[in-house]
Amino acid sequence: MKILLIEDDRENADYVANGLREEGHLVAQVASGAEGLICAMGNGFDLLIVDRMIPGLDGLNLVKSLRAAGNHTPVLFLTALGGVEDRVSGLNAGGDDYLIKPFAFSELVARVAALGRRPHATVAETRLHVLDLELDLLSRTVRRHGKLIELQPREFQLLEYLMRHAGQVVTRTMLLEHVWDIHFDPHTTSSRPT
Amino acid sequence: MFAALPRILRTSSFRLTLLCIGSFGASVLILFGVMYWAASVYMSNSLDAAVDSDITELADVLQVGGDAALEALVKERVRQTPHGPMFYLLQDAKGDVVAGNLLPVRGGEGRFELKVRNSDAPHVTAHAHSIALPDGGYLTVAVDSFPRNKMRKLILWVFGCSAATSLLLAFGGGALMSVNLLRRIETISRAARDIMAGDFSRRIPNRGTGDEFDHLVASLNAMLARNEVAIESVRQVSNDIAHDLRTPLTRLRQRLELAQRQARSVEGWRRAAQGCISDMDAILETFGGLLRIAQIESGVPTRRFTKVDLSELLRTVIEVYQPMAEEKEQRLTADIASGLIVWGDRELLTQMVANVIENAMKHSPSGASIGLATSTSPTMIAVAVSDSGPGIPAEERVHVFRRFYRLERSRSTPGSGLGLSLVEAIAALHLAGIELTDNGPGLCVTLRFHAPDQPPPARYCLAKSQQEARPLPASSSQCRPDTTEGERSGPV
Repeated sequence: MKILLIEDDRENADYVANGLREEGHLVAQVASGAEGLICAMGNGFDLLIVDRMIPGLDGLNLVKSLRAAGNHTPVLFLTALGGVEDRVSGLNAGGDDYLIKPFAFSELVARVAALGRRPHATVAETRLHVLDLELDLLSRTVRRHGKLIELQPREFQLLEYLMRHAGQVVTRTMLLEHVWDIHFDPHTTSSRPT
Repeated sequence: MFAALPRILRTSSFRLTLLCIGSFGASVLILFGVMYWAASVYMSNSLDAAVDSDITELADVLQVGGDAALEALVKERVRQTPHGPMFYLLQDAKGDVVAGNLLPVRGGEGRFELKVRNSDAPHVTAHAHSIALPDGGYLTVAVDSFPRNKMRKLILWVFGCSAATSLLLAFGGGALMSVNLLRRIETISRAARDIMAGDFSRRIPNRGTGDEFDHLVASLNAMLARNEVAIESVRQVSNDIAHDLRTPLTRLRQRLELAQRQARSVEGWRRAAQGCISDMDAILETFGGLLRIAQIESGVPTRRFTKVDLSELLRTVIEVYQPMAEEKEQRLTADIASGLIVWGDRELLTQMVANVIENAMKHSPSGASIGLATSTSPTMIAVAVSDSGPGIPAEERVHVFRRFYRLERSRSTPGSGLGLSLVEAIAALHLAGIELTDNGPGLCVTLRFHAPDQPPPARYCLAKSQQEARPLPASSSQCRPDTTEGERSGPV
């Protein structure tokens, strides 16, 4: 995957970029907002990883400008601004995911993978298939081998999320965020990728 | 007073006074002008009428009796009233005086003013009318215009006096108002300077007259109280960071130093790194918790508040924690009524309930059961989380909401000691009450929310210290009793 990393902290940027390269991604690094915007507009990246507090144009406005210009490259905010309001404003600006520093690298890798495979929002899927499992989003039914499976609403949501990310690592926090709408990590068993 | 005078003259109220005086004065001037003019005209007309009626009478005599009769009548009239108010003059064609008590005039026909010699005063002004006679002479009749002049003088005098008085009063009042205004502004700016100098508890004194200044001062004081809470919260966080992050950071440093001195193998280094990472995670967790509490206590925007389906929220939390309870071999049960609605921030409420459940799970041994139950009354919704753990001794309950407070026996269990502080901060934001009671054995934590048809919490609801500054409406006070202090904690 071709990833653009917009982050001004050199050390952290290198850490993230090298880690993602080890995962087999192509990573370009820029350190300022203006530069990032130009790069993001020009070269067909599959994903942008954006820090919110960067010199020049800040991350939030960068993404807003990008979206206003009709560019729909998925954006992952990677930021130290972890307040409730901050996350909401980030997602409202057009971000697709929001990861708060500090983070476990495995969490970042999983989210990057999830965003990269994400089907473009313009193509609305109504049926998901994994092997012989079939999930119909319109009638909200699940069949295996053509046999109907009864599911609770939450179970349906969970299955849908997993099927959309078939073959990928999905972390517990990702599930909590997308299925249960819980945006903090329950501490009893500290963040542990599933 | 004199030193302050230039400043008074510069005040907006004084300028406003001047403007009022100017426009009011102009309109009064116009009014008086019109009045003066109208009165003059009226008086002149009545003088004209008096003169004209006399002339008509004399002209009639002339027509009937001829020159001799007119002369006789004029002489008779002059004899009767030598000093006015009517004066007569009969002149022949050459201009010589035939009869009368006026000096000869050469004005020909028409109306004019003239001066009359009088015994009382050197000159009396008279309003005269001359007509030409058939023989080429002139008949002039004049009337003393004293009443008109007197009235004019009176009007001018009344106008002058009242204008001077009003001007004096207006200037005086304006100055007084400005002084008063300046004094109140000065009080406010003095308070502002004190606050800038670091006295955050300073408030602007209120005069209690209920005027617009008092209203402004009340608003400013409320703002100051709110700011003080926010500043205090930041200060508290920096203190907390100094006290409670330094310790684990020191430990981390020691661990690294120890590794540097003692670790000989790759395995040793790996173990040391692992230990450092978990130390670091604990520090980050504490740090995050502190920031979050500070954020909430300094006033999370209550504009985010919506009606939240509490039943659904509780079920979600239970769903999430049930597997974790199973891992710890604990039983997590719930008895949740449907359709419970509260007013608040969904995310924070979720966090609050989660923290209470986490707290119960953390401090209960394996095999314990934890229950969540809801109950309602017409005005309140209560959520009770009870466990069968060791509970909290009554005398300790006062302290558990304090940051980093941990019961002696829980020092060894992991945790930052911030969980319940966060619960309290969120509850305060939602004006919800917290009650700790004995579950015999175990602890029961009850959260009490307002029913949503109750008036929603005040927009600027804040953490505890704010509430001293601004008393809550009576309907809410029942929800924030001393129970957070653990004193009304029921049977122990």
